[in-house]
Amino acid sequence: MLLIGPIGFLTPWILAALAALPVLWLILRAMPPSPKLVRFPGTRLLLGLRDPHPVARHTPWWLLLLRVLAIAALILGFAGPVWKPSPDQGGQGPLLIVMDAGWAAAPDWPQRQARALRALDQAGAEGRPAALLVGDGRAEGALPFLPATELAAQLRALRPAAWETRYPSDPEAVLAGAPGALSVLWLSDGLDHPGRAEWLSALSGRGSVTVVPPQGPRQSLELVPGDQPALRLRSTGAATSEVLAIGLDPQGTPRELARLQPGEEAEDQGGTSRLVPIALPSELRNRITRFEVEGHASAGAVVLADDSLRRRKVALVGDDRASEGQRLLSPLHYLRRALGPTTDLIEGGLGDVLQASPDVIVLADQFGLAETQGLRDWVEQGGLLIRFSGPRMAASERLSEEPLLPVRLRAGGRDIGGALSWGDPRTVAPFAADGPFAGLSVRGDATVRAQLLAEPSPDLADRTIAQLSDGTPLVTRAPLGQGQLVLFHTTANAEWSNLAISGLFVEMLDRLVRSARASAAAPGADRAEQPFWLPELVLDGFGHPTEPQDPAPVAAADFARGPAPGAPAGLYRGGERMAALNAGGPIAPADWPGARIERAAQAPGLDLRGWLIALAAALLALDALGSAWLARGRRGALA
Amino acid sequence: MRPAADQLRARAEAASAALPALMLSAERLAAALVPGAHGQRRAGMGEDFWQYRPATAGDTARSIDWRRSARSDAQFVRDREAQVAQSAAIWVSAAAGMDYAGGADRQAKRDRAELLALALAMALLAGGERVALAGQPPRPGRLQAERMAEALVARPALDRDEDAPPAEALRPGQRIVLFDDFLGDPQPVLDYLARAAGLGVQGVLMQVLDPDEDGFPWRGAVLFRSASGALRHDTRDAGGLRTAYLARLAERREVLSRAAATAGWHFGMHDTGAPPSQALLWLWSVLEG
Repeated sequence: MLLIGPIGFLTPWILAALAALPVLWLILRAMPPSPKLVRFPGTRLLLGLRDPHPVARHTPWWLLLLRVLAIAALILGFAGPVWKPSPDQGGQGPLLIVMDAGWAAAPDWPQRQARALRALDQAGAEGRPAALLVGDGRAEGALPFLPATELAAQLRALRPAAWETRYPSDPEAVLAGAPGALSVLWLSDGLDHPGRAEWLSALSGRGSVTVVPPQGPRQSLELVPGDQPALRLRSTGAATSEVLAIGLDPQGTPRELARLQPGEEAEDQGGTSRLVPIALPSELRNRITRFEVEGHASAGAVVLADDSLRRRKVALVGDDRASEGQRLLSPLHYLRRALGPTTDLIEGGLGDVLQASPDVIVLADQFGLAETQGLRDWVEQGGLLIRFSGPRMAASERLSEEPLLPVRLRAGGRDIGGALSWGDPRTVAPFAADGPFAGLSVRGDATVRAQLLAEPSPDLADRTIAQLSDGTPLVTRAPLGQGQLVLFHTTANAEWSNLAISGLFVEMLDRLVRSARASAAAPGADRAEQPFWLPELVLDGFGHPTEPQDPAPVAAADFARGPAPGAPAGLYRGGERMAALNAGGPIAPADWPGARIERAAQAPGLDLRGWLIALAAALLALDALGSAWLARGRRGALA
Repeated sequence: MRPAADQLRARAEAASAALPALMLSAERLAAALVPGAHGQRRAGMGEDFWQYRPATAGDTARSIDWRRSARSDAQFVRDREAQVAQSAAIWVSAAAGMDYAGGADRQAKRDRAELLALALAMALLAGGERVALAGQPPRPGRLQAERMAEALVARPALDRDEDAPPAEALRPGQRIVLFDDFLGDPQPVLDYLARAAGLGVQGVLMQVLDPDEDGFPWRGAVLFRSASGALRHDTRDAGGLRTAYLARLAERREVLSRAAATAGWHFGMHDTGAPPSQALLWLWSVLEG
């Protein structure tokens, strides 16, 4: 490249044609202009006269100037001028391209490839050897340095991986074959990865390091476990992306089901972090197959939905004999209607349903169960037990000894608003803002006429998650092992309260069931105990789902460590369970002490070729107009 | 656009209005064969009474006016006023080149020539002369002007570069006025002059030129073409030809004026850039003299 001031020329030898311009000037000058045609009666007098000065009349100087300028613009244009071209990055010595190839590199992958190819072309033109270190964790052994042209095909075939960028652990071993001082071009994905600092120091010791930062901020999406499922959107810079919930619509076509708005921004390891609540109806939520950050094609910005978002399996245990006569008196009827649309229901005896390893077990007015020990084990492993009170519990003499209750109950219960009692039926008090029912609106029409009362105790207030307007508990909750015990102090049917026939009942049950941990349901469902996971669907680095070409089983220990070479992000099946391996996670911006950072803005320079050729075309058009104007004078003489 | 006959007539009337009645000189009176209606205020051949004079020797008895002689003793002869046999023929060239006008604001040469011709004819007619276009019988009277105007306008332009006056229409005692640019072959004109001189006919050559032809304003590469397209001359430096052209034009005028002088004619020049009255005054003075 030839540099003249701020303009560089890609093919400077074409400029030699500029030397022909003076010649062209003379030729154009000498070209006889077309004669003016004049009708002249005195022509006879002219016959035989000879031109005293046989010189051509000159083409007008401005027409000449136009033509010569047009030719000059064409020559300059074809010489490939670039305004302020990027200064020579090549430096000296063999070229080492370090290419971050994790999911974070995916959004601007073509630009990265183009930048690396440009460096390779340059090195190839200068005859420098080159090597390509791909940071996808699959590089092995010493890096071979080849003629730069041989690496281009490999570089073009490269795709980002669906896991974090990984570097080989031992820089010295990899760089063993490096000849002399290196010139390193590091196409960074902008994030810090394990081993990056070591590599940077190792490479800085061997030559100059030029870092190409990514264009735009990186974003990652992660599922936050908890009572209320939510997503965490992390970003290294200011980004206002929305999160798309994608799933099958009722016709079975994948489409965008909802758009989730990120919440408040918070600082997080040098970047920002926003919580994205998944505030969707259960029907919609159950259909979601994936979440992705809008407009950010990266595996780290995709969260695949697995069992943790799926329908819970709820077991109903209760006395269903009333249904034979009067269906509306059965507590199970109301539970079925409330839970049926959003969950998978199983019913039966307690022993039977425990075998089915449900996520939630609902006991409606059951007392003194035989399988107490099995139930306790199930809860301690993470099950959610929801119990409803009823006349049978109220009639029990040994209520205070009943196990698997969140609070100790006082025998006999309480009757309010009845014919033989003082006072009116109580309404439900507004829910506390930090409980599982936070945000549900309490309607005044839900009243409670009878309830079981808790024994006063210091932790009663903590365990109460819903109470009546007089402060007595309506719903209490207590942890047990990894699971929870929940007690409704009223019935699941309309006998003690009309809560069961209100919409609030459905919403409360939905909130409770959602807070059950899906993975904790079945005994033996621990990840470590599932020996292998088989990929059902894997993501590529851009976050596009693909069928696994070679579904190699992933050992549970590797699975637990997250996406890695051999275990790309995707959906994995182990036994009856589906688990998602999601690439997104905490991100931290990288810093580059001692390295030269290439500004993206100055990288390619402004190509002037198109402008110059357009200028030449405009000048030629002006020339045509000018010639036409001259010819108009001739036509005027003819008329 | 050539003017229609009435337009031409109206403009010619306007042009000739300023002139006094034009009187042709009676120089060739004796040789006049065709009697005219122009009384010469002296005795001679004619039809109108002029005077009685005493009869002298040589007067025939027939010529004596007996009614007058009876009132006295002497014999009187009734003299008649001499009448002029003078007529003018006017010719305007219809060559293709006469249609040339150098600019949009200028008259074509032929238009100017016809205007001059008709104005001259009207002035002559007003003086009682008999006027006609060459080749037609000369007649007096106002109507003749209209006939002439119609004939002038009706005559189509030739597609040739040259037009010659009809030499066979020459009659003795006529005054001839030729309007032409005289840029074509001069030989027919010279022959015509020679024949006119032989017949004792006098006249005027009026060269009507456009300022372009007089000044040759062209520069650069020009392809010159004669009006009919028969002649062409290609030059790449028209500006350089100017001197040579003007020399040739002067030479042509010289030839014509010398030939005219030899034949007793007058040679005049008129530029279409100049007002027509100028040329008309000159023609008037020449014909009168």
